[in-house]
Amino acid sequence: MARKISILQAAAAITKGLGVTLREMLSPAVTEEYPDAPPSFEARYRGRHILRRDENGLEKCVACFLCAAACPVQCIYIEAAENTAEQRFSGSERYAKVYNIDYSRCIFCGYCVEACPTDAIVHGHGFELANYHTSALVMRKEDLLEPWPKQADVALPELERKVS
Amino acid sequence: MSKLVTLTIDGKQIQVPAGTLVINAAKQAGIEIPSFCYYDGLSLQGACRMCLVEVERVPKLMTACTLPVAEGMVVRTNTPQVIEARKAMLEFLLTNHPLDCPVCDKGGECELQDMAFRYGAGEGRFVEFKYHVPEKQWSPVVYYDAPRCILCYRCVRICDEGLGVNALGVVNRGVRSEIAPNRGDHLECDECGMCIDICPVGALTSGTYRYQTRPWEMSHVGTICTFCADGCKTTLGVRNGIIIRANNRDRSGINDEFLCIKGRFAFDFVHHPERLTRPLIRTLSGFREASWAEAIELVAERFEQARQQGGRIGLIGSTRTTNEENYFLQKLLRQGLGSNHIDHRQSGDLVSLLMATRGREGALATTADLYHASGILILGADLSQQHPLLAFQIRANYRHHRARVYVVTRGPVREDQIAARSLRVAPGQELEALESLRTELQGLPDLVVLYGDSIKGSAVARLVQWCDSLAIAVRYVCLLDDANSRGALDMGLVPDWLPGYRSLDQMNLQPGLCWEEMLESEELEVLWVVGANPLRRRHLKRRPWLVVQELFLTETAQQADVVLPAASAYEKRGTFTSVCGELQQLQPAAQVPGAKTDLEIASLIALQLGLELGPADPDELLGEIHRTVDGYNVDLPLVAAGAAVPTGPYPDVAAVAVRVDKIRSREDTLFTAGSLGQRSQVLTSVREAPGSLYRG
Repeated sequence: MARKISILQAAAAITKGLGVTLREMLSPAVTEEYPDAPPSFEARYRGRHILRRDENGLEKCVACFLCAAACPVQCIYIEAAENTAEQRFSGSERYAKVYNIDYSRCIFCGYCVEACPTDAIVHGHGFELANYHTSALVMRKEDLLEPWPKQADVALPELERKVS
Repeated sequence: MSKLVTLTIDGKQIQVPAGTLVINAAKQAGIEIPSFCYYDGLSLQGACRMCLVEVERVPKLMTACTLPVAEGMVVRTNTPQVIEARKAMLEFLLTNHPLDCPVCDKGGECELQDMAFRYGAGEGRFVEFKYHVPEKQWSPVVYYDAPRCILCYRCVRICDEGLGVNALGVVNRGVRSEIAPNRGDHLECDECGMCIDICPVGALTSGTYRYQTRPWEMSHVGTICTFCADGCKTTLGVRNGIIIRANNRDRSGINDEFLCIKGRFAFDFVHHPERLTRPLIRTLSGFREASWAEAIELVAERFEQARQQGGRIGLIGSTRTTNEENYFLQKLLRQGLGSNHIDHRQSGDLVSLLMATRGREGALATTADLYHASGILILGADLSQQHPLLAFQIRANYRHHRARVYVVTRGPVREDQIAARSLRVAPGQELEALESLRTELQGLPDLVVLYGDSIKGSAVARLVQWCDSLAIAVRYVCLLDDANSRGALDMGLVPDWLPGYRSLDQMNLQPGLCWEEMLESEELEVLWVVGANPLRRRHLKRRPWLVVQELFLTETAQQADVVLPAASAYEKRGTFTSVCGELQQLQPAAQVPGAKTDLEIASLIALQLGLELGPADPDELLGEIHRTVDGYNVDLPLVAAGAAVPTGPYPDVAAVAVRVDKIRSREDTLFTAGSLGQRSQVLTSVREAPGSLYRG
């Protein structure tokens, strides 16, 4: 009698287990195939920074230095300059002539993004930053700026919110 | 001492002198009353209404900045009504004020920002469009952004009362009110930039600092201005070894917050592209760059030859090198090379004054005396142009203490505005004119006499004699040209006396050649010029071997055999002595790779020559000067802490034959300053440059 019961119990357990398998087979997969396939990100993933442009293609950054001030590891270096009538970089009077982020120091805390009054700096989804040379980890404004005209394949987080 | 009045502020009972304003009484009690338009030392305005307080038994709120204390007054600064009033005031101030703080140069050190943060409502209720007018450039150094202006009138008052220029005013009414410059669309003034400094918001901004950086990004180095002799402390904002701005907002130093165009803007010569950074050695086809080792070796070799020939070397020193450098240079020349041909361009006759007042205590006035003395006598100098700080002090003295100012000059000067009497005489005739002032001066408790380069030699002795006959307390200021002209005299950078005005007999030396004689002398083999430009308007008759330590390839450096790139005063440690004898310490701010300080260069030469001259470190040398030079036995920790410490007295002044015809002021205006001034982009670009003296 006891043997019959144990067989039935085993059969029930197998069925239950296979039920889970069957259910999971029908639900969407969570496994990332990276590096064979591009990884997917949550919108607010904090990757390599992107310096954004406004609708006219001008840099949003006005070199207010607040990101550098907020940065806990002091990895942001800025040199400011004034726009001239001939050469206009940003929408405001001042622009960042030099804007470097040292990714050997950046801890991706997002304080710079929070501090930015013009939403110029945001986290992108770039994360493949490894390099054999630390000097190559200092990225310049040209490396960080959003390409212009806008390209479809640049993954920008959905941060288009109106500043009230 | 005026009567004390007892009043209560926020429950604290305090006693202050009668006539004190409530805002200052509260400050003494440690209670802050916010204000924009109230400014210490300037007239009262009552424009901003930020300082409203509640006074018991007064139905309405009162402005604390215009309300003198009264016996038994009860003031409250933290009632709901006051807090609400402050919020409302800030809301009004912000109705048209743009919220461009991220771009504004004042952001981070803006009084309106601070006040809005501390006392503001956090949210405005105005939804209307802000009134906007475009920014204006008034001069190369002053920009005005009208929408940011809160009309506190500080700039108007400092320009009128502090500087006596009165270049700013207010035009239009209501929301369209704005500050306007004296020439309609531009400024013609001293270009001192005091209005920029004093502006509590970013309405007035500096043309040179504009959009360069933000205040917290700089390190701040307090040092002494390297231009005129007044010894203003200037706090340099430095980023990456480059000086970005200068001001003295912390009110440290003898100048409080005052700076003229030179102190505030003319530091740009430091980073001029023509700065020398490699030693140059003359070849047949011109200069070639050389290493320091090679240049020093070559110089030392020629110095050694000159030494062996019996000291056939002359040194023309600078009025912008530190006391330590001057002391070391004269030691190197007198002790090391056995020559007493050592001089610099003298711009005033101090030694005659010291001889005439030998043995007296307190014969020399300090900068503070100019603010406190009840009488000021200006002889033969355009102070507002040549000595802007001294003029500022005298104007403050006139404003606050009603000082009696007497002017005896060859032409109109700005001090005429405040003078009790102004006399116009030919240069050199000042003393003859004094007699008409006798009765007025005799009625004063004390007097400070400032005299320029037209009074020298026996005239100084006559001046002292005449002042003695007034039978009142008289102190003197001998006006000199450059930042360390006084120090060069004190350190014996002259052929006639040793450091501390000691007699040459103490070293068994004969009076040497003065600098003009050195240029013409047949005797000298080597001429060593440190930071001077004697060949600017002359030619050498017979060319000795010429070594020049300079920042730039000046007229003198162009004729040199070896040019050694020197560091400016903003790049080194050491001390300067101001025209009024205050000893102050310099701090290195900028870095110019390649240049070495004159002290370093001189010590390298001494080392190469194998001379034992003791330490060549600025701090140790200051210790040696403190021990050995008369008048410099001062409190060194105070100097190190950044204070201005009065030097003197000089107990052992030698009796020297003053070379009267060699004493001459360069008569710089506010916009000229020798070879440094020529290399300052700001000084050369302002409309007023080069300016002229005695224009009123």
